[in-house]
Amino acid sequence: MPRPAPPLWLLLPAVVLVPVGWMLPQLIHGGGLNLIGQFALAALQPSLNPVVLHSVLTGLGTTVAMALLGWSCSLVFGVALGIASSRTVWRTCIGRAAPAVLIRRLLALPRSIHELLWGLALLQLVGLEPIVAVVAIAIPFAALVARVLSDLIDAQPVANLKALCNGGAPAGIALLTALGPPLMPQLLSYSGYRLECALRSATLLGVFGLGGLGTELRLTLQSLNFPELWSGLWVLLAAMVALEGLVGWLRRRWSMPQRFNLRVAAQGYRSQEVLAVTAALIPLVLLVAHVLQLNPALLLHWQALPDLGEAHWRELAALPWMGLIANTLLLTLVAASLAVGGAPCLLLVVAPWPLGRLGLRGLWLLGRLWPPPLTALLLLFVLKPGILTAALALAFHNLGILGRLLLECVESADLAAEHALLGLGVGPRLALFYGRFSSLSRTYLAYGAYRADVILRESVVVGLVGASGLGSQLLEALSSFAWNELLALVVVYAGLTLLGEDLSDRARHQLLETPDGDGHTQEVGGAWG
Amino acid sequence: MIRQTLNADNGGKPSKPGGKPSEPAPWLLDLQSIDLSGEDKPRLAQVSLRIHPGERVALVGPSGAGKSSLIAVANGLIQPDGGSVSWFGTPHPRGRHRHRQRRQRRRQQARIGTLWQDLRLVEQLSVQQNLNTARLAHWGWGKGLLNLLTPLETQACSAVLRHLDLDPALLPQPVSALSGGQRQRVALARLLRQEPLVVLADEPLAHLDPRLTEKLLALLLDYAQAPRALLMSLHRPDLLPGFDRVVGLRAGQLVFDRPASQVGREQLEALYASGL
Repeated sequence: MPRPAPPLWLLLPAVVLVPVGWMLPQLIHGGGLNLIGQFALAALQPSLNPVVLHSVLTGLGTTVAMALLGWSCSLVFGVALGIASSRTVWRTCIGRAAPAVLIRRLLALPRSIHELLWGLALLQLVGLEPIVAVVAIAIPFAALVARVLSDLIDAQPVANLKALCNGGAPAGIALLTALGPPLMPQLLSYSGYRLECALRSATLLGVFGLGGLGTELRLTLQSLNFPELWSGLWVLLAAMVALEGLVGWLRRRWSMPQRFNLRVAAQGYRSQEVLAVTAALIPLVLLVAHVLQLNPALLLHWQALPDLGEAHWRELAALPWMGLIANTLLLTLVAASLAVGGAPCLLLVVAPWPLGRLGLRGLWLLGRLWPPPLTALLLLFVLKPGILTAALALAFHNLGILGRLLLECVESADLAAEHALLGLGVGPRLALFYGRFSSLSRTYLAYGAYRADVILRESVVVGLVGASGLGSQLLEALSSFAWNELLALVVVYAGLTLLGEDLSDRARHQLLETPDGDGHTQEVGGAWG
Repeated sequence: MIRQTLNADNGGKPSKPGGKPSEPAPWLLDLQSIDLSGEDKPRLAQVSLRIHPGERVALVGPSGAGKSSLIAVANGLIQPDGGSVSWFGTPHPRGRHRHRQRRQRRRQQARIGTLWQDLRLVEQLSVQQNLNTARLAHWGWGKGLLNLLTPLETQACSAVLRHLDLDPALLPQPVSALSGGQRQRVALARLLRQEPLVVLADEPLAHLDPRLTEKLLALLLDYAQAPRALLMSLHRPDLLPGFDRVVGLRAGQLVFDRPASQVGREQLEALYASGL
């Protein structure tokens, strides 16, 4: 029985291209090919009308403000909950880890529900207020930060901690002294990554009507006003590039670990600078909250929900649950395979050409910034609605995220084996494939397993394409105020997401544990969220 | 003896790695006035070296003298800032048809084998897959992918392992599970499986015990008979008698290039003393 060797693992998910390539021609309706052409051409002729630009910049300001506030709230609550859900912390304080396990289980629920669902549910309950988007981002992000932080704390060696406790140091001081310094660079690096995610999420929430640039983008796309759409896209692109550049620069300047290998020990430098930036963020966040007229008290004033008759419950029972779940899983599988397998394939194709690599970076950047529901709407110009169309939209977005991580990993990987192969006269693509792809295959696929879990959660955002599983049904339930159906769908979604998270965790641990020379296993990768 | 072992899969015929008949070349490797810049001082300055078929050349000099850089320039991994590199009696391809030049260059590189100090094996692959990487330049993608799926050319791989006193049962083992000595011999086996005309070796004896050092050196010297040649960097004066020529490098400059019989203790002491 042939067993594929590591570099081949990277290409295996791309096998899905065969059925996708076979099915795609049957989906094309071709009705909007000219619209796609107009859309592409408009990239070179964005609207420079001052009114449009003012509207775009105001929208961007709102989106950035919502992202910044959601992110900062998620960090505050996430760090507190992360400490509270760490086994090491509880063992040090009370000698038992049971409370940590309980808190981790409770946090699984907010984490499993996508920010869009939180946003739309709160929108129905509270109305269109800026606080809705902020809280929608903060809830799942805080749970994610908590999980990653507790994982990082629990992965730290405890020898120093035990030595301090044995020396009579109070538990809190001992924890801070032994674990604080190694954790700070990892936490800061991860925080930067979450800020980039928050900007993407704030844009996405806007697409669904929660305000900001996303709303502008959707309105201009639906009215086929492509020059105005591209004005917004270029501005968003500039903001995204600036943010990614700033975070990357700070990560390098402060010697923080890369996102791909968060658990790799990093020294972390310029602590005074880090403190100054953190301190400067506090008045900035307060100022932004004031400008956005954020009013947390509004969260306490829910609008009355409509009464539900018995008929609604009968309709709920009649839903094709198995079909909805199967479609959701199929959508996730296809999107994840396309994204995970597509990135290494594309990188191999362009590897020898510097211009090609630059073009690929541009494509991936576009994928990251372009919200999946807008891609789905764009695809509907030429494709029929369905699972594959939704999967393509999700895959394009996640390809942007995975591609960037793969490129970072490739650029930091050891070149020795690849150089030896180049010296043997092997072509650059095959040398890259055998050389660096071999060394990063486990880590990349482990990240791919995590990403598949995220894609399952994200499948709700392409629900508007229709016939794409639970996501479509959920959006339908929201728009028709069918609260019982919505609740049932959210519970099923959450259950499915938690199951997917468990499977992806197992796959990740399997991939990251490699046998060492003595036949033992060791973990080689990092923590993500 | 070695050639017969290596060509077990080719019916005992010498292979033509470049796809062309291996016509006798006036020289196998020609470096002329090589300049290579470094961070604060040049790594190589005006170094010229020509190696003919059958020559076994030792490269000596203190650490940081530029030996590894010279080997990397010689096998085409590093492009020099000045000077020219030619292989197998033909000048280095230059001109407009870049794609064709690259292919020609790769064909020539496939005939140059390098034994690296850090071995540069692909740790995640098995011994057999690593040995077969020596044939990738000729196989291309199809067989290259198949190599990662199923054992290929087991007979030839077993032959090179046996030649180096290694058990063919190691073939399916990952190289990361091997001992230091086994890894060293697997790297040498990969080189032999490549069947190169020129062998470049970057301090391959640095971390070996005396018995293995002697065996490995004997193997390489035996392999480098005409039409092949060997350029090896090393730090052991006691091993120089096995070579035909000795080239001394210091601070990136060629200090001497003379027959091994004419290199005495005084020259070597002067070479190393100045490097301190």
